[in-house]
Amino acid sequence: MKPEMRRVLARETYEEKIRKVGQLIALARNFPRRTPVRPRPSAPLILSESKVPYHTGRPGKKKN
Amino acid sequence: MNEPLSPLPLADVLRAANGLVEARLIEDYALGGALAAIHYVEPFATYDADIFFIPSDKGLTAGMPAFYARLKSQGWQVDGEHLMLKGFPVQFLAAQGLTEEAVHEARRIKFEGIPTKVFRAEHIVAIAASVRRKKDLARIEQLLQQAELDQTLLEKILQRHKLKLPKL
Repeated sequence: MKPEMRRVLARETYEEKIRKVGQLIALARNFPRRTPVRPRPSAPLILSESKVPYHTGRPGKKKN
Repeated sequence: MNEPLSPLPLADVLRAANGLVEARLIEDYALGGALAAIHYVEPFATYDADIFFIPSDKGLTAGMPAFYARLKSQGWQVDGEHLMLKGFPVQFLAAQGLTEEAVHEARRIKFEGIPTKVFRAEHIVAIAASVRRKKDLARIEQLLQQAELDQTLLEKILQRHKLKLPKL
């Protein structure tokens, strides 16, 4: 909305402005804002035990 | 029995607040928050009404149990930190410091013929500058653009309470 129009609305009587606030509240009650749907974070990729690459485990002794 | 829901029963809220003053359960009150700001700017949706009051009882509870009991007897319901009237939440806040000054210096108006008080725009700006949530910054910007502020009074209030306007 243009700033001039907003200033015009600001100069309305308090009673008129409160009546409009009431309308806005009623609208918000009847048509609640939908929360945006966000994709759920994907589950961490966990390899099953059978697919875990085989490790020999402990580092071997360093050969000279 | 539950009263019918009303989007904004401000006249009933003000009548009840005046009743609390007449019964000397509070010394004085004024409308603050968004509903006070709307006195000076374009209308916008708000979630509740904030009534700042000067307690008669200077004790820790600020006399709240007594006036809660009175309002409950008049059909108000308690819901967390709010008192509900016809489904509309109202918060009674004990005024102190800057908000106490704002109650004392509030503008006397009539709403639908009911005498009441509303915070001055300059106090609303100063309170928003002290709280500084996102919505307070938006309120300051809106008041600076749309309200006819007394800049000298605003400067005095800001200085007295060691406040600065945020950069917008």
